[in-house]
Amino acid sequence: METLSALAGGFAVALTPLNLTLLLLGCFAGTLIGALPGLGPVNGVAILIPLTFAFGFDATSSLILLSAVYFGCMYGGRISSILLNIPGDEPAIMTTLDGFPMAQQGRAADALAISGVASFVGATVSVIGLTLFAPLLARAAIYFGPADYFALYVLAFATIGGIAGVDPRKTLLSAALGLMIACIGIDPITGIPRFTAGNYHIYDGVDPIVALVGLFAISEILVLLEKRGKERAATIRVQSWLPDFRAIWSTRGAMTRGSLVGFVAGVLPGAGASLGAVMSYAMEKQVSGGGGTFGTGDPRGVAAPEAGNNAASGGALIPMLSLGVPGSGTTAVMLAMLVSLNVQPGPLLFAQQPELVWGLVASLYLANIALLVLNLPLIGLFTRLMMVPTWALMPIVAAVSFVGVFSISNSIFDLELMIMFGALGYVLRKLGVSLVPLVLGLLLGGDMERNLRRAMSISDGDWGILLSSWISVVLYTFTALFLALSVWLAIRDQRRAKLFPENRTSK
Amino acid sequence: MTTRLLGAVIFVIAALFVSGATSYDAPFGDVLGPAVFPIIVGIPAMILSASLVVWPGGEVAWPRPERLARQGASLAVLLGYAWLLRPLGFPLATFLLLALLGIILDGPAWKSAAIAALIAPGLWALFDKGLGLPLDVLGTWF
Amino acid sequence: MNTRKVTALLAGAALSALASLAPASAQTTECIAPSAPGGGWDFTCRTIARILSDLDLIDGNMQVTNMPGGVGAVTYAMVDGERPEDENLIVATSTVGVTQIAQGRYPAPLDAMRYIAMLGADVGLIAVNADSEIDDLAELTEIMANDPGSIVTAGSSGAGGWDHIRLLLVAREAGLEDLSALRWVQFDAGTDAVTQMMGNQVDVVSTDIGEIAGFVESGDIRVLAVLSDEPVPAFPDIPTAVSQGVDVTGYNWRGVYTGGDVSDEAYQAWVDRLETLYQSEEWQEAAEESGLLPIWRGGDEFTQYVQDQEEAMAEISREIGIIE
Repeated sequence: METLSALAGGFAVALTPLNLTLLLLGCFAGTLIGALPGLGPVNGVAILIPLTFAFGFDATSSLILLSAVYFGCMYGGRISSILLNIPGDEPAIMTTLDGFPMAQQGRAADALAISGVASFVGATVSVIGLTLFAPLLARAAIYFGPADYFALYVLAFATIGGIAGVDPRKTLLSAALGLMIACIGIDPITGIPRFTAGNYHIYDGVDPIVALVGLFAISEILVLLEKRGKERAATIRVQSWLPDFRAIWSTRGAMTRGSLVGFVAGVLPGAGASLGAVMSYAMEKQVSGGGGTFGTGDPRGVAAPEAGNNAASGGALIPMLSLGVPGSGTTAVMLAMLVSLNVQPGPLLFAQQPELVWGLVASLYLANIALLVLNLPLIGLFTRLMMVPTWALMPIVAAVSFVGVFSISNSIFDLELMIMFGALGYVLRKLGVSLVPLVLGLLLGGDMERNLRRAMSISDGDWGILLSSWISVVLYTFTALFLALSVWLAIRDQRRAKLFPENRTSK
Repeated sequence: MTTRLLGAVIFVIAALFVSGATSYDAPFGDVLGPAVFPIIVGIPAMILSASLVVWPGGEVAWPRPERLARQGASLAVLLGYAWLLRPLGFPLATFLLLALLGIILDGPAWKSAAIAALIAPGLWALFDKGLGLPLDVLGTWF
Repeated sequence: MNTRKVTALLAGAALSALASLAPASAQTTECIAPSAPGGGWDFTCRTIARILSDLDLIDGNMQVTNMPGGVGAVTYAMVDGERPEDENLIVATSTVGVTQIAQGRYPAPLDAMRYIAMLGADVGLIAVNADSEIDDLAELTEIMANDPGSIVTAGSSGAGGWDHIRLLLVAREAGLEDLSALRWVQFDAGTDAVTQMMGNQVDVVSTDIGEIAGFVESGDIRVLAVLSDEPVPAFPDIPTAVSQGVDVTGYNWRGVYTGGDVSDEAYQAWVDRLETLYQSEEWQEAAEESGLLPIWRGGDEFTQYVQDQEEAMAEISREIGIIE
């Protein structure tokens, strides 16, 4: 009951005209920034920080604006994933797997609607979790030690194996390449530069957004160039401008499961939204038993990762607010802003600044509703993007990607790197190697290595520490079960294919 | 054949990666050291790429020479953009990028140029004025 | 094409509406925090940026850029290579940065830059979990001397970084001969180290007090000692290490540098500007709230101080065995 009255107080804060205006502006700007390839939530929040200072907003209003942008980006990232096969930001990579095939089949409106509603469900679940359990969950998260994080990443990579592609060797190779790229740069534990060839531009490693944009946007241009303009045209017949609500309803299970998995991933500091999306997708693929249709435009393959990454982004606010430990890059930027406004997130924040915390929570509820209302009517508009001829659209996409990266880093080297990744991405795609595991390896590799080394430092070199806590034992058990299930499903599918060859889905 | 070739290339890269990693020694106060993890990920990459050399699994259909040339041209345009962005300034360089990419993608030349003339200043306005991320109007050559 | 234009127009309109609300963006000056957002360097830049524009000491806003990598090495190399004469650029640094330079971990030497000023100092602390069996510094030093392998220590720097060195200085005072016998775990920030300690993954944390003050106030952790000459004003009850017979102090000052080829006038202008900032109520307040002790050193005095500290750090690092 105490929580409810605090929340009511929060709504009083959130519903002041200034905060409500900021909220709506933030939602819109966030959706746009998220949709632009090359700009993601981290940049979106960083871009708007000077604005909050320029106006002298107080901490609560600033945080409301930035959180609205953050949530807006998570909604926006899916749009270019679905329409162009280019993720708008890192967490949206999983959405390309089924979203783009759906759009190719003329079901872009469905995919956008499903992902929009899934985003809403995921974000709402996480905000409810934040309302009810924030301090409690933060206390639980601290029992996750380095060895447990390592086990979590092992589980994540085991699930990647079953995500995409026909040949599992290529999927694993892709992940290994991503992990190798993640090793590039100055090692934070010892300060040694690794694989940098003395070039200080990569001392901080390869920026995932540079790799992402290169691998997806530039390689997409190369793929499109394989065919003549006329051969490309009119391959897509848009079935409907408006979403089919039965299709949305049919993914309710995927949305719920995705939300829960994503939320847990978000609460753990360091794991973040990308991991939430991966785990949600991989789990949905196994649980639903629809292995064969995933990756070919299965609506559940859109619903689960979108619910997952939005739930994770909400979940990531919990360790940020109640421990001062950011769960993702974006929450790190928000943490920095709070600190410079003289608000120190940590164990006392909820007690000392209830107005800020509950004002934020209330505005997150409102932001979600605003984003859903904003996004659903835009579906018709976005779907019409599919009608724009490639020669007009893709150069603009390329330019936006370049500017997005360049305007943040101001580095020509990043642009060159992006083009290299574009060529690499194209070659890998031709070989039938999925790019998603590579990006995930790059995103998660650094943390995976550091946690392994931390664990080994704690145990003084005894590998037994990796199995010494019940959390890691449970996680490895999941990993084993998951792998067993994958193998079993693969064998079963093969048998079925032999028994009923005519039923085999086209791949 | 190309799968085998690329598998071999990746194998060589992974092998160089692993041998490079072994030179990073564990200094003071770090038990596992900076070498072990790169080796742990590099060796599977070697094994997997080697297996592609032995069992390539499927053929790759590369595009026709004319399309390959266009792909090369598009990469050249992108690289040119990266190198000319500072000298030419943002709007002009972006105009060239948009127009040339449009043409390479089989777009009508004058339409591509028209769209480029419209979008390039628009993007500049969006990023510089709208998002507050400064981009030079005129480059170092002016 | 039409719909595309409509979308672009809508988007453009919304953003320019947002932007036109903001004062003219004459972002002429820049402060680079050579780290990810959060933490000390980021705080230095963001607070300086906020107060400089509040006090109208600069035109418009100061842009804060995060350029993480190699504990400041990436930014150092960039300023040295690309912007050595940029008069509008300042970069946050601290004892941590000088330690890196002293150990030869930056791509350019100390005198590649001009050091403008320090504005305050954070104080090191040694802390344990609230329910730890270690009750005071004497118990900790006894364990360090007799059974160093039984505890795991952690902080926000890598092996051989400033958090680690401060702890090793305490261990050396305690009488530990083989300093590598003490286990050290690196975390990304002081808050990470503290929360991992609360989860019983590590036993002792050595880091700055400012960032983790909330956990001290909430009673989640117990501070055995602060590494300052006098107790810290925000926590007057916490004893210093010196007062407990362990003669170690470990400050982490916060300051800024600029490129090595910046003109004398521009350099002096920065020193003056920051001195005005230092004396403002806003800075004193911000410093206090984040647990910094306000200390001013500027211009030549600061440059000399940094040089002396580099030598001292190099010597300590050699003695402890971090560098040859």
